Amino acid sequence: MSQRLPKFPFLGRLLMQLPSPLGVLPLIAVLIVWQILQKGNSPYFPPPSAWWSGIVQSAATGKLLPACLASLQTILVGMVLATAAGVMLGVLIGLSRRTARALGPLLEFCRAMPPPAIVPLAILFLGYDERMKLTIVVISAMWPILLNTASAIQRIHPILLDVATSFHLSFYERIRFVAIPSVMPSILLGVRIALPLTIVLTLLVEILTSIEGVGALMITAQRNFQSGQLYGLLVLVGLFGFFLNTVFSMIQAIILRRWPPRSIPA
Amino acid sequence: MSDPVFECRSASVTLSLSGGARPIISDINLDIQQAEFLSIVGPSGTGKTTLLRMLGGLLHPTSGEVRVNGAILTGPPEGVVIVFQDYANALLQWRTVAANVAFGIERKLPAKECTDRVNAALDLVGLSRRAEDYPWQLSGGMQQRVQIARALALRPAVMLMDEPFAALDAMTKAGLQDELLRLRDQTRTSFVFITHDIEEAVYLGDRVAVLKGSPGRIEDIVKIELPSLRDQISTRQMPEFLAYRYGLHKAIGHG
Repeated sequence: MSQRLPKFPFLGRLLMQLPSPLGVLPLIAVLIVWQILQKGNSPYFPPPSAWWSGIVQSAATGKLLPACLASLQTILVGMVLATAAGVMLGVLIGLSRRTARALGPLLEFCRAMPPPAIVPLAILFLGYDERMKLTIVVISAMWPILLNTASAIQRIHPILLDVATSFHLSFYERIRFVAIPSVMPSILLGVRIALPLTIVLTLLVEILTSIEGVGALMITAQRNFQSGQLYGLLVLVGLFGFFLNTVFSMIQAIILRRWPPRSIPA
Repeated sequence: MSDPVFECRSASVTLSLSGGARPIISDINLDIQQAEFLSIVGPSGTGKTTLLRMLGGLLHPTSGEVRVNGAILTGPPEGVVIVFQDYANALLQWRTVAANVAFGIERKLPAKECTDRVNAALDLVGLSRRAEDYPWQLSGGMQQRVQIARALALRPAVMLMDEPFAALDAMTKAGLQDELLRLRDQTRTSFVFITHDIEEAVYLGDRVAVLKGSPGRIEDIVKIELPSLRDQISTRQMPEFLAYRYGLHKAIGHG
């Protein structure tokens, strides 16, 4: 049987997810100008060379790698849990008007709560540990996934649901074989919006609580007036986010190659 | 005559809409025999789709009863399958053609038998070479054939079709009409075929039921006595064909 899925357009779609090398040029130019103009070691605007030495110094103490791994772990585990929670709640709310009505006010209340405001409460309940970090990240990052999933489920064409009924699918089979696949593009869009949120929240919680992670290193550097290191960590976080976003775009393109191109939300 | 596959006894459907309860179809009496092709014509708004959804078990009759092989219908019956007009929304766009055709049987049959049936169904509609494509890569006529293959894979006793060719161009339509008649002869499936196209109803049907009014009632059932081997050109030129066409236009109230 011939494989008719166009190979080249698919590769093209995958490559399109990669950032253009040209787009990095202005950034490099700014950094070079900064390095040239900056004389001496300013505590506010240290030159890029000082950022690098700050990072090297941090790595030499053996604190950088564990901190990076701790943050990465929270981001990835948080992402997985937020996706699971967001999709599950989103499907339930999307499928049943009654659930939507019953949970609506509670969800609106939780959604309106700024994540940093939950931190003290979470510390009270869970203490200063990884679980607390994860709880805050998951509770705050699942919203875009939940809302995208729920609204996409409500927009599933009634004919598709008639097909499921007419083929005798059980409730569980309807969700697994019809509802979730048909809203997959929207779920992935939600995950994509949630991804930077997860990074922001992980760092925020680390900065607020000094639990191990890159955020904790940043607040320590700031308290010790190591501005070079602080800038260096900032760049590291930026690269981190950039890298995760690019990887996710590629995963998204691979998964969605089976869906009609026009159904994929931008 | 043998026992009918489908029977409707004074079945009515009343839907509760925003403006209150509204009767959609009323006092429907129909029998459908094995391997029979029953066309149902009627102007829009006479409850054709409602009638079909009732036969497919998606709607319960508010009064009266519907029986399939003698048993009163309570939900979507086994052995009855619906082919919808809107193929783009009726197919699972993220599944390959073969996986779409397998959709109705994959949870019930062992994998081997499932594959065999899928291949057989794709063969019947002439889509074997597109088995690994996705529906959105096919033309409208091909997508509708995928839906027909998905229905055939179930080996249904009755196929309910809701204006399946309304969105297709005339040439594709003619090809699929002949395909349906051939499938009926090969598989001995009964067809209930809803359309607003009177010529199509006469060309395909062994009988044509006329649905009329609001709520819709069966105004008349016409037995079509044309040679069973139909041909797009010669059949459509027969004086009898034209007479049926004229009579049905009259019955519906055109001129």
